[in-house]
Amino acid sequence: MTETNIIEMTGVEKRFGTFTAVSDLSLSLREGEFFSLLGPSGCGKTTALRMIAGFQEPTDGRVTIDGQDMQGIAANKRPTNMVFQSYAIFPHLDVGDNVAYGLRNRGLKKAEIENRVSEALEMVELGGLQRRRANELSGGQRQRVALARALVMRPKVLLLDEPLSALDKKLREQMQFEMRRLQRNLGITFVMVTHDQYEAMTMSDRIGVMFDGKLVQVDSPETLYAKPCNREVASFIGEMNFLPAQVSARQENSLTVTTTCFENLKIETNPNVRQGYGDILVGIRPEQIEIAAKQPDGYDATFRGDVVNVAFYGENVHYHVRVEGLDRPVSASVPNYFHMVDFREGDSVWLGVQSASVIDLGENEPS
Amino acid sequence: MKLAFGLQTYAFFYLGFLYLPVLFLPLFSFNDGTIVAFPIKGWTLEWYRQLGSQDTLIQALVNSLLVGAVSAMLSTAMGLFAARAYVRYRFRGKRISEGLVMLPLVVPGIIVASSMLVLFISMGLKPSLTAVILGHTFLALPFAVAIMKSAFDDFDVSLEEAALDLGSTVLETFRRVTLPIVAPGIVSSLLVTFTVSFDEFVLAFFLSGNEPTLPVYIWSQIRFPAKLPNTLALGSLLLLASVLLLVIAEFFRRRSSKSLV
Ligand SMILES: Nc1ncnc2c1ncn2[C@@H]1O[C@H](COP(=O)(O)OP(=O)(O)O)[C@@H](O)[C@H]1O
Ligand SMILES: [Mg+2]
Repeated sequence: MTETNIIEMTGVEKRFGTFTAVSDLSLSLREGEFFSLLGPSGCGKTTALRMIAGFQEPTDGRVTIDGQDMQGIAANKRPTNMVFQSYAIFPHLDVGDNVAYGLRNRGLKKAEIENRVSEALEMVELGGLQRRRANELSGGQRQRVALARALVMRPKVLLLDEPLSALDKKLREQMQFEMRRLQRNLGITFVMVTHDQYEAMTMSDRIGVMFDGKLVQVDSPETLYAKPCNREVASFIGEMNFLPAQVSARQENSLTVTTTCFENLKIETNPNVRQGYGDILVGIRPEQIEIAAKQPDGYDATFRGDVVNVAFYGENVHYHVRVEGLDRPVSASVPNYFHMVDFREGDSVWLGVQSASVIDLGENEPS
Repeated sequence: MKLAFGLQTYAFFYLGFLYLPVLFLPLFSFNDGTIVAFPIKGWTLEWYRQLGSQDTLIQALVNSLLVGAVSAMLSTAMGLFAARAYVRYRFRGKRISEGLVMLPLVVPGIIVASSMLVLFISMGLKPSLTAVILGHTFLALPFAVAIMKSAFDDFDVSLEEAALDLGSTVLETFRRVTLPIVAPGIVSSLLVTFTVSFDEFVLAFFLSGNEPTLPVYIWSQIRFPAKLPNTLALGSLLLLASVLLLVIAEFFRRRSSKSLV
């Protein structure tokens, strides 16, 4: 992956009347990366994507693509192509004509168009379906046609608006891998909008998390999961147990914290949060909590609780454990190694965590 | 059960009251006699045969076809753009303008006709087919707008955006994507607006001057009892044509909403 930026957004804002859909968005996308904009529905992801595509002009700020300022450049003149949420397959054209649509605008020779269309259809595994009518396609096939129609243009950037949200679960997972493979092979920059955290994490090199029109954190999936920049991000991506904590000492790269569950535990500071002076919030991922009948050895902190709920997911088991002094039960998830559920509701258990699993989430703002 | 039966009876009489008189028209057009009264004397196609040899009638038919075709095209073109704007955009005065477009449906024809006559004459436009075309375009516009609105209602905006995204200009997008997709709606609107114009009497009577359209011609012939069976035959043909056109129009309108799944 080279270090040139294919898209630069600086201070981009979009207002609809008095409503601000996107505010002060600054973002650099690297050439050849798979980037996702992740956030709950209505947070302004699509609007951000449409400003890159040229369907909406920013109210303020600047978008450059490949070093060129896009101000006043219409969608049909931009080196981007889009896969729409509804796929927008032209209903009056067959598959071949749908895919050839953009190439015809470029006035290419007939033979070349045919070659590129069949190449693109092969690529999305719809080889030979040129004469299939648009209304005879399944959901998955429509998605592939939309992908082929955009990729055949060889755009510098491919924009995808919730491309998998209309598919059922199995197909969606299969397409995640296929799109990832396509992106790798072609080396085209993909910018995908999604509200599905798993989709974003399995496919992307980097993820930008948005809430209420603001870009909150941009990082690799691993970093987002391990070092979220605040409570909102931490709870949107994966599951998280939150504990209010008092800070008894601050060192350069660590904090000593005390919570209801443990005392004076030394944890790493999180570089993604703003360091303050007051009490903080810490987070622990459920799969990083050990659950045992007896006090477990080798953990930096152990505490007791009572199982109040057991949820069996197949690949793992979630235990909700009530701990004295906490409003909400602690959630611990255990892989299903031996096809056994070890604890039942009402069992008294021990929980254990390592200090490395306790994530500093910065100052504890009331939420 | 009882209520359903009552409703059925009501519907039966209602439809009978509505359509029975209309059915007398074709019935008596085959009657071998000039008096319109039962019993029917015998069956004949004579009245239909005579139609072909009446020059003024043929001229009126040509006038009507011309007026119908031109006003259908004008009102459909206007309806197409108006409907696209109504469905796609929010703008100041949209509600009022949508209401105004539908006004010809409720304003009494005689009022529209007399005010148009006054207006056209004051503008120096003598009663003529041109004046009728303008009047009929105005009258047919609500139908065109309503039909085209339903065509655009089912139209996914991102289809036009996809065309732009793939490099089409705004005009190309309209020609290669918008038009073909709403084409069934356009055909349906053309047929309906043509029928509206073709059957219209009051405006045509006021505005046609000495170039009568078919309904005006029929009216002028009704005064001659000897010509009555001819008029009945002509009326029956008109009826048949209108029904056919509307059925075809409905077929296209339905197709337009189906093709966009
Ligand atoms: N054309 C528009 N006019 C007015 N409000 C809009 C328009 N487009 C989007 N919005 C509003 O902007 C907000 C963000 O929309 P969107 O970008 O589509 O969110 P997301 O894709 O994250 O679900 C929403 O509240 C939406 O109602
Ligand atoms: Mg969206």
